[in-house]
Amino acid sequence: MSDVPDPATGVRPYLGAGLGSGEPEGVAPGSDPSAALRPFVLTSGRVVGVDPAIGVETQVTVCDGPPRTHLPSSAPELHAIVALCAAPMSVAEISARLRMHLGVTRVLVGDLRATGHLDVHTLDVADPRDPETIRRVIRGLRAIS
Amino acid sequence: MDYVRSPEWQLTVPPVTGGRNGDPAGRHRGQHSAYAPNVGWHHIGAPPVVDARVMGPPKKKRRAPIPVKIVIAGGFGVGKTTTVGAISEIAPLTTEAEMTTASIGVDDMLPGSDKTTTTVAMDFGCVTIDGSLKLYLFGTPGQARFGFMWDDLSRGALGALVVVDSARLEECHFAIDYFERANLPFVVAVNAFDGHLAHDLNAVRWALAVGEHVPVIRFDARQRLSVRDALLVLLDRALDRALRERGGT
Repeated sequence: MSDVPDPATGVRPYLGAGLGSGEPEGVAPGSDPSAALRPFVLTSGRVVGVDPAIGVETQVTVCDGPPRTHLPSSAPELHAIVALCAAPMSVAEISARLRMHLGVTRVLVGDLRATGHLDVHTLDVADPRDPETIRRVIRGLRAIS
Repeated sequence: MDYVRSPEWQLTVPPVTGGRNGDPAGRHRGQHSAYAPNVGWHHIGAPPVVDARVMGPPKKKRRAPIPVKIVIAGGFGVGKTTTVGAISEIAPLTTEAEMTTASIGVDDMLPGSDKTTTTVAMDFGCVTIDGSLKLYLFGTPGQARFGFMWDDLSRGALGALVVVDSARLEECHFAIDYFERANLPFVVAVNAFDGHLAHDLNAVRWALAVGEHVPVIRFDARQRLSVRDALLVLLDRALDRALRERGGT
């Protein structure tokens, strides 16, 4: 996963989430309110209406079949997402690697699923209350040294 | 200019070589990896030719791993990112979630504030558990005003590690309240800065008024094995509960 190069070039800087602004743990006190809304230009202002099942950890992969529509060349962000998801990638990772706002990422990932570009594995979830799942994680962690 | 011939377009053309049951996904991956450094679509000069021979024999379609997650909550500067970084197999990544108008009303727990936007940086990392299971660790601010994103994070989580600086206990009250209400297994992990705790664990437990069933442990966020052990305490607790629930039904 770490071999995926940083493709942040695919996102227009003024639409990014403003990462690397030197805020150690996140709050941008007193920042311009419009700055928070600007990333949603990419989604035509949509902040909700996404599939709520798309979580931060949901895995996304490129669709096998041909997509129903071609991506507009005017949307480099969409191309960047598709390119990134050649390997299975979580929504959070897409957001981080493209330096794209998490909420925007979720909307766009939902769009790309609708257009047949991406498989969004919302159904591939583990039951967090399944003892066997937990045991597997325990075994995996114990193997760390 | 019209870049109809984008790499993605090329990739979506049915492969000319290989069988119908070949591995389009595998080829896509291969193709994309050639593109990734430049995120291709500006470079229409040399579209790759799909050639199964280059990509090796068709592979079985690779499935995406099943994700599981653990929330790492805590106040500013208590060592959440350090905790994630100590155990993650990738350098912690940061994503930002900004509250928008859609979330206004959720954030009204901050008294006297008319602020309608809040930026939250969330650091996360991952650990590959086995071939098909991947553990994600999400470090998230522990204060009430970030509560709007917690439902999202907690849904489907195995549990939460509440990282605490023993000198600033007050910052974790909201997290503890939240996870108790959400009925999510959690552990209070006191980060021993420089191997030193301002208060011993019993005092911390008393001050936080957490139930007897909630483990209060000491750990060192910089030490991989210490973080691992803290997570194992949490998972033991999650397993206990899972077994209890299975037994009860």
